[in-house]
Amino acid sequence: MFDVPDFFGWLTEAANWEGRYGIPNLLSEHLRITLVSILLAALLALPIGIAIGHFQKGASLVVLLGSASRAIPTMGLLFALVMLLGIEMRDAAATIALMTIAFPPLLTGAYAGFSAIERHIIDSATAQGLTRWQLIRLVELPLSYPAIIGGFRVAWIQVVSTVVLAPLVGLGGLGFGIIQGLALRNFDQVVASALLIVLVTVIGDQLLGFAQKSQALRLGNLSGGKIK
Amino acid sequence: MKNKLGIGIAALAAATLGLSGCAAQSSETIVIGSQAYYSNEIVAEAYAIALEDAGFSVERNFSLGQRDVYVPALIAGEVDLFPEYTGNLLQYFDPSASQTEAGAVYEALAAALPEGLVALAMSPATDQDSYNVTREFAEANNLSNIADLAALGTVKLGGAPELAERPYGPAGLLSVYGVSVEFEATGDTTVEALVAGLVDMANVYSADPRISQLGLVTLGDPSGLFLASNLVPIAKATLDQRAKDVVNAVSQAMTAADLVEMNVRSVEEQLPASRIARDWLVSKGLID
Repeated sequence: MFDVPDFFGWLTEAANWEGRYGIPNLLSEHLRITLVSILLAALLALPIGIAIGHFQKGASLVVLLGSASRAIPTMGLLFALVMLLGIEMRDAAATIALMTIAFPPLLTGAYAGFSAIERHIIDSATAQGLTRWQLIRLVELPLSYPAIIGGFRVAWIQVVSTVVLAPLVGLGGLGFGIIQGLALRNFDQVVASALLIVLVTVIGDQLLGFAQKSQALRLGNLSGGKIK
Repeated sequence: MKNKLGIGIAALAAATLGLSGCAAQSSETIVIGSQAYYSNEIVAEAYAIALEDAGFSVERNFSLGQRDVYVPALIAGEVDLFPEYTGNLLQYFDPSASQTEAGAVYEALAAALPEGLVALAMSPATDQDSYNVTREFAEANNLSNIADLAALGTVKLGGAPELAERPYGPAGLLSVYGVSVEFEATGDTTVEALVAGLVDMANVYSADPRISQLGLVTLGDPSGLFLASNLVPIAKATLDQRAKDVVNAVSQAMTAADLVEMNVRSVEEQLPASRIARDWLVSKGLID
């Protein structure tokens, strides 16, 4: 159905790199929708996850919120929100729909990070006179970075691959090339767009993975080479 | 787990048997397919009911998806009869086709069909791409056909992503009518985007009930930018001649207004396709 040189040819054709639906524009739109959704979801999820992890109360809420939002079909929610908010608010509708899939991993990441800290570390920090706020900021949060970044990794993969639906409601993003290409039976365009999405996903995941690893290493060095 | 797998395999086997079964007995039972599009299903149902009324036994194999999926099944002879649209089907078989007028498109389609398939009588009913504006926009700018847009400067055009590359898309508007547009891919929310004023003009199928429901104005196409797309029954060449006659009568009786009205009943009253098709056949005196 397609040859490697053909979709490479599609990628290298100048016309596909220009204008409203050119690759650079679609790519930046894809990244913008993804990052805004994840950051807004993090503003909600991290404080809740941190609070529940710190006080060790309401862990069932994590399970509840986590699994409830996983059960929501994103595409259905996207269309429902567009109808509800009006087509003018399609950016907001897409962002909210994507926030619901970014929320659970971010919440569980923060909660898991805080829960995994051994009791004696917290006790000794408290014994040294740290206030509650200092304890969270100076001890618990740094120790939780690897788990929190892990939450971002999962959120990234899920959101960046779901933004592909955005053209269905008139937004852009790299999914445009897939949806347009399928309708035009231009499989070079479909394959090239899909590969670009995979590439973006993997690069983002690797960057986050690198950050996660360096945090874990730093913690390992602090605890005398023992990586937990 | 093992049980579920077993059921799955059994279901798959049954489905396969069902499909091969219908191919085998097609000499007696007429297998009718339809697209996964409510309007197309109503038309298929009209063929089915009329054939049953004429004494044929019919098997309904509806909602077979889009053209990429069912055309191979048609060619393979697994489906005997299928309601289609002249322009869109011609474009499928011959992407470079340049005909736009209904009669010419029909003739080109008849020639382009693979061996073993024939186009029966073309219906006056159309369901084709059309450019629509809101009533306010039409009145404010004194618009009645596409050519009137040329005076407006750049017009914002909304439609499915593929419209950007279609011959009747931005390039065709410029070359045929001298209208320059800025294209906005509005996807499945094209009509909503038009009503909300996000775009000035939108590509909507001419039989879409929302054109009349929302008071949209369909701009005339005097220079034949759009490919005419009339309803047409596509049949296996070996289909019984008497059955072909029955379907031809149904096809020719269906007007564009009939089709829109049936679509409205489906969307507004949520009636099943069989009920809508039967009522229409009775109203035309095609069945009792």
